[in-house]
Order: sequence, then C-alpha cells, then structure tokens
Amino acid sequence: MSSLCLQRLQEERKKWRKDHPFGFYAKPTKKADGSMNLQKWEAGIPGKEGTIWYGGLYPLTIEYPDEYPSKPPKVRLPAGFYHPNVYPSGTICLSILNEDEDWRPAITLKQICLGIQDLLDSPNIKSPAQEPAFRAYSKNKEEYKKKVLLQAKQYAK
Amino acid sequence: MSSIEEVVALISALYSRQHASQIDVNEIQVKLQEIQKSPDGLSLANELLSNASYDNNVHYFGALTLTVQSNLESAKANRNKLLKLNLLHLTTFVRGYVLNSSQNSGKYIIIKKLMSNLSLLFHDINESEPELTTNEENSGMINQWWNPIDTLVQLLTQANHLDELSQADEQIRDSIIIQSLNAQIPYQDLIKFISSNPHYNQLLLTFTEIIVEDLSKLQTKRHSTPRINEIIRNSVYITTMSLLNVNLTSTPIDQIDDTIFKTAMAWITYVSLTRGGSVSMDLSELFQNLINMMYQSNDSTDSFHVAEKILSIWGYVFANDPAIMNHDLREQIEVTFLGVTRAGNADSSKNQWFLQYMNYLVTNEMISELKELSICIVDFLQTNNLDLCNKLFTKVAHDEVVIQQYIKVLLQLTNFPLLPVLQESFSIRMVDFWLDLADSYINLPNEILSTNAVNIAIDIFQQIINIYLPKISLDNKQKILQGGDDESLVHEFDDFRAAVTDLTQSLWSILGNEYLTNVLVTGIGFNDASGIVVNGNDYSSFYQIEAMCTVLNKLLVDMDLSESPWIVNILSKNQYFIQNILLLFKTGMVIEQNNRNNSILKLDFVRSSSDLISTISKYFNRDPKELNSCIEILVHGLETCTVRTAANNNSNVDVKVRDIDDKLEVIVVRTITNLCDVCRKQMSNYLVHFFNFFNNLLQFENNGSQFTRGKLARCIGYIIECQYDLGPENQAKYIVQFLDMINGYVDTCLNSSPSSISTQQVDYIHTMLECISEFGSSMINNEEKENTKLLEQLPQYQEFWTRDPLGCRSRVLSLIERILTNPIYNRNSSFIEVSCLLLGKALLLPDDEPHFLRFSMADIIQFILKHLNENNYTSSLPFFVYLLEKVVTQYKDSLTPNELDYLIKEIFLKCYQQLIVNDPDLLQSMINFVVSVVDTKPSLVINCPVWVEFILPTFIKLLPSNEKFTIFAVTKFWTKVVNNRKYTQEDLQLTRQQITMMGHELVYQTMYGIYHTQRSDLNSYTDLLRSLVAKFPIETKGWLVDVLPKICNNPAVHENFVSKLFVTRGSRAAGNVILNWWLACTSLPSY
Repeated sequence: MSSLCLQRLQEERKKWRKDHPFGFYAKPTKKADGSMNLQKWEAGIPGKEGTIWYGGLYPLTIEYPDEYPSKPPKVRLPAGFYHPNVYPSGTICLSILNEDEDWRPAITLKQICLGIQDLLDSPNIKSPAQEPAFRAYSKNKEEYKKKVLLQAKQYAK
Repeated sequence: MSSIEEVVALISALYSRQHASQIDVNEIQVKLQEIQKSPDGLSLANELLSNASYDNNVHYFGALTLTVQSNLESAKANRNKLLKLNLLHLTTFVRGYVLNSSQNSGKYIIIKKLMSNLSLLFHDINESEPELTTNEENSGMINQWWNPIDTLVQLLTQANHLDELSQADEQIRDSIIIQSLNAQIPYQDLIKFISSNPHYNQLLLTFTEIIVEDLSKLQTKRHSTPRINEIIRNSVYITTMSLLNVNLTSTPIDQIDDTIFKTAMAWITYVSLTRGGSVSMDLSELFQNLINMMYQSNDSTDSFHVAEKILSIWGYVFANDPAIMNHDLREQIEVTFLGVTRAGNADSSKNQWFLQYMNYLVTNEMISELKELSICIVDFLQTNNLDLCNKLFTKVAHDEVVIQQYIKVLLQLTNFPLLPVLQESFSIRMVDFWLDLADSYINLPNEILSTNAVNIAIDIFQQIINIYLPKISLDNKQKILQGGDDESLVHEFDDFRAAVTDLTQSLWSILGNEYLTNVLVTGIGFNDASGIVVNGNDYSSFYQIEAMCTVLNKLLVDMDLSESPWIVNILSKNQYFIQNILLLFKTGMVIEQNNRNNSILKLDFVRSSSDLISTISKYFNRDPKELNSCIEILVHGLETCTVRTAANNNSNVDVKVRDIDDKLEVIVVRTITNLCDVCRKQMSNYLVHFFNFFNNLLQFENNGSQFTRGKLARCIGYIIECQYDLGPENQAKYIVQFLDMINGYVDTCLNSSPSSISTQQVDYIHTMLECISEFGSSMINNEEKENTKLLEQLPQYQEFWTRDPLGCRSRVLSLIERILTNPIYNRNSSFIEVSCLLLGKALLLPDDEPHFLRFSMADIIQFILKHLNENNYTSSLPFFVYLLEKVVTQYKDSLTPNELDYLIKEIFLKCYQQLIVNDPDLLQSMINFVVSVVDTKPSLVINCPVWVEFILPTFIKLLPSNEKFTIFAVTKFWTKVVNNRKYTQEDLQLTRQQITMMGHELVYQTMYGIYHTQRSDLNSYTDLLRSLVAKFPIETKGWLVDVLPKICNNPAVHENFVSKLFVTRGSRAAGNVILNWWLACTSLPSY
C-alpha cells in the first residue's frame, strides 16, 4: 500500500469515527494476526425511513486498491442482493464509484455510504446491473416492492 | 451606454424592496451585468464610487463592478487602473467610516468588497515572477506589490493630500499610489496609526484576514505558489503579527474585539496550509499571547466569552494541525486541560482556571460549548497518544507516578459525572482516545514492552470497561427519551453504545477472555436475577444486565463457541447466565407499549437478549440442558408477537407501534431459526411443538407474515433433516405431515370462495408455496463436515427418494396443479416464480444427494409446457427459462439435440414473432438460455436443426440492437460461439465452418452495432471482436477491410484501425483501439 493510500485511509477512519450518519457503521476488518486491514472495510447501510428499504441494515464490503484515492474503492453488497443497480456478484453500479465516470479522489467514505443509501430507493434505470430486479422495477412494481420488503427483513437490524 | 442616472435608477430599482413585485428583477440584472462587463465598466464603477451623494447600494454596486472587471480577460491589461481605483476608493471610504462609524456603518460592506478586490489583485500581481520584458504592452505594468496593509496605512496618512489634488493632478495621484505599493511602515508608526483610532485597528485586521482567507482558498484550488507565500512571510505576516500581538497584549479583556480572533484563525489556517513548503511562518508568539489572554477571561469580566473564542481556535488547531504549535505551548495547554503533564510539570492555577470554566459551562447548561470543548480536548489528547503509550507500556524512561497521575485524570474525564449526550460529551469523545491507545499498545513490539506493561494495560482497560458499562446503560437512554422528542439525541446515544461495543471488541485483544469475556459472563450470570421485582415502569435492575449482554454479544459474535471450550466452561459455571438473559427477554416482552419510551425499551431488551441467545447457540450443542427453556420462552414470545402483528394488520394501529411489533417479530423468529439450524440435533424433541405452533400460524385467520411463516417452515425442516438416523421412511413421514398440512390449508382457502378471490387469499396461497420452498431449502445440508452416519445410509436414502413411495413429489406437483389451474394464479408471475423455484430446488445438488424435491426431467418439462401460455408468457418466461436452464445443466447427458430442438421451438419459436421480438426482456431471456446451453454442452444446441434455421440467422440480426441487455446477451452468445473451450473436435469443426460462411455478415453487423451504439455499451462488442481477431485473424482482417467503408466513409481512420487492431492480436489493448475508432468515426471528443 502506498503511503498516500495509507495516510488517506487513516484520515478516512478518523473522520468517520468523528462524524458519521446515524445508523451506519464502517470499520476496517482485522487480519488473521489481529492487526487492522485498512484496505478492506466492513460497513452497514440502513434503509431510509419512509422507504421500502427501511428496517434493513445492508452489509457492504469496501476494498481500497493500492492506487486509492486515484482509483475508487470496490464496494460490494452481498452476492445476489436484490436491486436494479447491483450486479449478481454484489458489485454496486454507481457513477461515483466508477473511475471513468464521477469518481474524484476527494470523495469520502461518508459520501459513498450516503450515495449508496440514496441509490437503494432511487435506482438508476439507465444503468441496470441485474435482470430480475430491473425487470420487476420496470414492469411489476408490486412484485418489486414485495421482494424488497422481504429482503429488508432478512437484513433487519 | 446608458446614462449614469439610468444606471443608478436601475440599481435603486434592483435593491428596492418596495417595488420588487412590480419590476422584472431578472431583466434589470441582465442589463446591469451587461454594463458591468462592458469596456465602460471601469469608468462606471469609478463614477458610482466617486459620488458621495449616491446611497450605499450604488456604492456597493460600484465595488462589485470592479470585481467583475477584475475577472474579465482584459483584467491584466487594466490591472494598474483597477489597482488605483480600488485603492483610492478604499482610502476614501475608510476615512469616511472612521470619521463617523455609527453614521457610516453601511460603508463597512463596501470597504470589505474593495479589500477583497485588492486581495485578488495582490495575488494576481505577485503570483508569478516579475516579467523581464521589453514588450511595450507590459511596460509600466505593476508586477510587484509588497504589502497591502502598509500601502493602505501610507495612503490613509496621506489622505488629506490626496483630497486636495484636483482632477488635473492625476499624475501626482498616480505617483503617490505607486509609491505606496512599496511603502514599508515601521513598527512604531504602525502602532501609532492603529492607536489613533480603534476603527483603523479593526479595519487593518479585517484587511489582513481577507488577504489570507483568499490565499487559503487559492492554496487549495491551485498548485502551491511559493513566491506569494514568500512575499507574505516577508511583509504582511510581520505587519499582521505586530497588529495581533499588540492587540492581544495591550487591550483590556472587556474591550477586545472578535475581529482579532477571526484574523488569528484565518492566519492559523493559512500558515497551516503552507507549512511543509519552503516558506515557514512561526506563530508561537501569537499562540502564547492567546494562551495568556485566555487565562484573563472569567465569569465576571466577560462571561468567558474570550475563553470560548480562543478555545475554538485550539479546537481547530488540534483537529487539523496540532504540530503547528510547539512542544512548550502544547505543554501549557496540557497542564491547563489536565492539571498535569506527561513530563511531570504541573501548574494548579492554570488548571484551576480551566475547572472554573468547565464549572461555568456545566452550571449554565451550555451543552454545545461543553461538547465543543470535549472535542477539542480529545483531539489534543490524541496528538500525544503515541507518547503516552510509550511512557505507559515501554521501557522509555519516565516518572511512573506522574504517568499514573496523568492516567487518573484521563479516567476521571472519561467518567465525567453527568449524563452522556444530554449533559456531557467527554465520555463519548474519549472512546476514540482509548481505542487509539489500545491500537497503539497492540502494535507495540514485545521487545520494547516494559516488564509490567501487560498488567498496566489490563488495569487501565478494565477500568475503562467498568466506566463505560454504566454509561451505555439504557437507564441513560430512558432519561434522554424523557427529555423530549429529539430523535437525534437518541441516535447519538445509540451511536455511543455502538462505539463502546467496538472499543470492547478491540480491548479483547488486550484483556482476553480472562479479564473481559469472563467478567461479562459472570456479571450477567453470577447472581439470580429472578428475584428482581419490577416496580411500575422502573426496569433499572435490568439495565446493567442488558448493557453487559450488548457488549458480550459483540465479543462472541466472531467466536466459534464449538472451538472455545474456555468460554463454554465459563458459561456453564455461571448457573444463572442463560436464565438471566431469558429473564431480560421475558421482561422486555411484557413491557407495555403504552408510550414511545416503553416501546423503545422493549425493543432494546428483546434485541439484546435474543441476539445474545442466537450468538451463543453453539453452546447448546455442548450443554443443551437450558435449550428447552430457551425455546419455550422464545416461541412464547413469538406467539405474542404474531398475535400483535396480526391484530395490527386488522386495525389502524400507529405506524411506529406497528414498526416496533414488526421488528420484534423479526428479531425473535431470526433467533429461533438460528437455534433450530445450529442445534437441530438437540431439537428433535420439539418437533411436535413446532408442528403445532406452525399449524396455528398457518391458519388463514392468523394473518401472520410471510417472513415468519417461511422461517418457521425452515425451522421444522432443519429438525427433520437431522433425523436421518431413523431411516428415510420415518423422515419422509414428517415431510408428508408437513406437506399435508400445507395442502389442507391451501385446499380450504381455494375452496372457500372459488369465484371471488381476495388479495389476502392470493398472498396466503403464495406464502404456502413459499413455505414449501423454505422447507425444501432447509432439507439441504450445507455442513461441510462429513457425517459418517448419513454416508452409511446414503444408498438407502437415494433409493428411497428415487421411488418416493409416500408420494411427496406428487403431493407438491398436485398442489401446484390445483393452484395454477385457476387463471388468477396462473396469470400471476409470482406463482410461476415460486413453482419454478420448487421444481428446480434440488436440480443443482450433487447427483448422489437425495432430496424429496428431486423432480424428473419429464415432470419438469411437462410442467413448463403445460403452464407457459399466452396469458402469462410475457411476465413469466424468465422464470420458466431459469428452470429450463437448470434442467439442461442437470440432465445434459440424457437430453438429445432433437429434444432440445423441440423445446426451443415450443417454448420460444411459437411466440417469437408475436411476443418475444418486441420485448427486450424476453429477447434477453431467450438468448441467455441459448448461451447457457452453449456454455454447458455446446453439442446439444449446435446440432439442433433450429441452430441453423433460426438461432444463427436471427441472432446475427440482433447484434446492432438499441437495448443494453440485448446487446450484452447477443454479443456474449457470439463470443461463445467463436471461442468456446467446451467444444469437442467435431463442435469446433462445425462452428468454424459456420463462422467462415457467415463471418462477413457477422463482422458487418458487429461493426454496424459498434458504430451506432453508445459509449457505455462498447465493451460488450469489444469482447466479440477480440475473439474474432484471436480465432479468425486472416479472415477477420479481410472482412473488416470490406465492411468498414459500408458503415462510414473514413478510409484513413479505418486503415489505422485495422492495422492497430491486429497488432493487439485480440488482447485487452484492442478495447482502446475500438474506442478510438468509434470516437474518430462519430467525431466525438476523447476525454
């Protein structure tokens, strides 16, 4: 890991501990020897109140490449997560996480987490990443809603 | 240009509130902006600022016009003029303001605007080296400005002389201004000047503040500008420090103006940003004077107003750049905050002052100020964390008594004697400090640890746990809730609890099971809590148990109790451990939800206790004696929840109450499911109870949720799955019992009102099928460990389920049939989805794994052909395709090309023109199915008659599609056809022949597709083209040369593309070559 990457990740950790939105969590994972792995984080995104996603705390893994912050982290929900912009592998399709789109080195973990929380209830139908959720969202909102509500229970806090 | 009067009238109209509704503000703004940007803008600004009879709005507009002119492209050419106008008018306005500040207070904003203009000019002039040029255009251009503060002082001292000059004396005026640019005001003169009028003092401070604020903004936006920083250090910095230090040392505290602190803050920010470069500016004297002034502030002089301002400066410094302050100064702060330093210096008077300040904040309930202060102190402490860690735990020489004293103070600060969140934030902020200290300690190499480091660490961190357990008690949360409806405070407290549990998790590495897990387990289970009597709404006796449960849960959640005999022993030794957790659960369940506070408390009690039970479920594998009471209490709790949620569904209950009930139900059922999964072997005695409970829950009138019913079905499945030693027939009897129960309820519902079916009935029937699906999933044993008993009986089980003598599969098939016969269910895609899920449940299991839902290929195909019809085709095809894909994967060796050909024709071709061709989703489903066969066993599909009759000719035409999903699927298809590792020699020969025959058309359609697609879809085509280049290099080159001119007329680009593409030989680099061709042909910019 480059010193820039390390420095920035330490800064991100400090910032997050000092100020993070309520209901979210994010922390570096531990390596096998018990030391901290700053390049791989675990996080949780709560569904927004008043939406069908509410009640769930959706787990994320965030992997920072050596080139971070020049390159964005890879952010994943669990494989098979039901959302139009989440690939079957769990990788999230969001412009601020794409190096070729809106990623900027100044984007913080807090912004990423809030961006994903927004995406949950406001899918981008121009960038579908999985077929079942996209189809239901486009053609059968009732079915979509039922599946999301059930998923919220599966990931209930 | 409009006349000056017209412009003044427009400005007046713009700012006039009276006529705001009658005028078109936008129109006026557009007009005025045009004038501001015009070549006459400078003269206009001068006119507007010169005429003393105009009002402040007009003057401000004049200053704003100078800003606009400074930002135009022509600004550099007009720089001298801009500078002179700004300086002249600033001098005039400052004089006017100083002479009568109360009457001219409106001029202050104009002065600030002119100062801001000058600040930008100062930057522009000094940004680069003076140009050594003989260029006429640049001759006479001002290219260095030494010190704007000195310039202003110089001009103000000569203001009378400037006033006396007439219009004709412009040259003299210019020369005075030019001279002032390099004026250097001696210290004594500067002090004399600011002493002459306090407004001069205030305005000079404001001017220097504006200059460095602008510079700070520019530092972050542009590359560093060492030249201007150097000029600042040699000029403005010296002047400003003189101004600030004189103010701080000679102004009585009750007369001090906030401008001083604003200016000091702006300078600290700027110096901090430039630190590390070649230019360094020392702020020690300023810091020292601020510290001294802080001690003068007290309740009687200024109500600690100055102290608050200065502490906010320290807050900024310690949060952003603590090293900007030297060690001695930091030690002064340390002794102030803590009364002791790590070096052993102590000055009780400084700390006494600080304690008085804290007392003042606490007495006056100045919560936000206390919070700011706690942030400041903890930020400060964190800067010394490593040093403290070394002194505490390593062989570094230090005075032990001093360090112990120091730690004592930190512990006192952590144990701040007020209510966290509501009254104090010290304990909250200190979590970060202890976490960092623990991290630092953990990372110390063993060789440098002192002999008693481990004991010291254990002692300190145990005290931390003891302090935080009461702090995170729900007792405090209840007090916050009683304090009002502010949800953010409750959230803050929950965050605090989460932070403390995270801290505890880190402390485990230091304290281990012996000093942490053990202590918590003993704390929960050493004494019998059943004697606790709850008085009314007072649950205080349970708060400590709850806090320990929450923390312990976090510790145990990552541990595998089956591999931790130590913890299992501790749990066993504390005889009331399980009992007390269950007591907490029961207490939570009986709390009445008659108000918000009780509802939240109920949820917290139930969540903490049931999560912990779930986490320690593996303990019951070793010691199942209390599993019985656990299950009984949890199931009873679930019964209570389901009754409530069902009642809620039938009435207009408040959303928040409904929300809490839903959450409770989910939490409890999740715990029960986990217990059944983990302790399935020990649960066999409860099977009958679960059947009974499930039976009740399934009743239509019960109105239970799909989630809970599904989870309960899983629970039963887990227990039955484990009963393999009784033999397959006995296991099958339970399965039949389960299926018959579902069948019975479905029939009752189907027969109750066959003509009119309500939404509830539809949902109910759907839930019944979901329950079978969940039950089926739970009968798949995912355990990696080989079960010898099961392996011994495997042939018996395989044989049994192949025959299925009790007719489990026929029961399921018949149930599905009965449901789908009704068009209402048949048309509803969610029924097709769950049916397909059921029929496909066991398809991907290993061949030798028996399962009651292992349907034959014939059964499944018959189901698909029977139930796929025009009524549900569009909505349900993807589910049928999902099932069909699994069938092909599972039965690929027994399926023949002719059978597959028949299926493709029946399932897709019959509806292709009518339904599929116009629906991208259906197209995608169809293509993906073919891709999956090509991927699984290519010979099956490439030898079908439909392959050449339909698939190849149709799919080639789909290449230039507008739909992302179609492009993705069809390019994947062709990529697989061109390059497929699963081909046999015969397959390869056949497909190469086919590609060679249709290659020209394939390349044409591909390039046509690329040319017309959007950038984000290029990658899909890239893979196909790469495969063609890699597998058919010679042919593809010829095809490309032939087809490219037909797509667009750009021979040079095409030639370049072809030559570069073949250099890549199909590697990833081809992606860029294709992108460049696309950009060049579509004339889009590359960015």
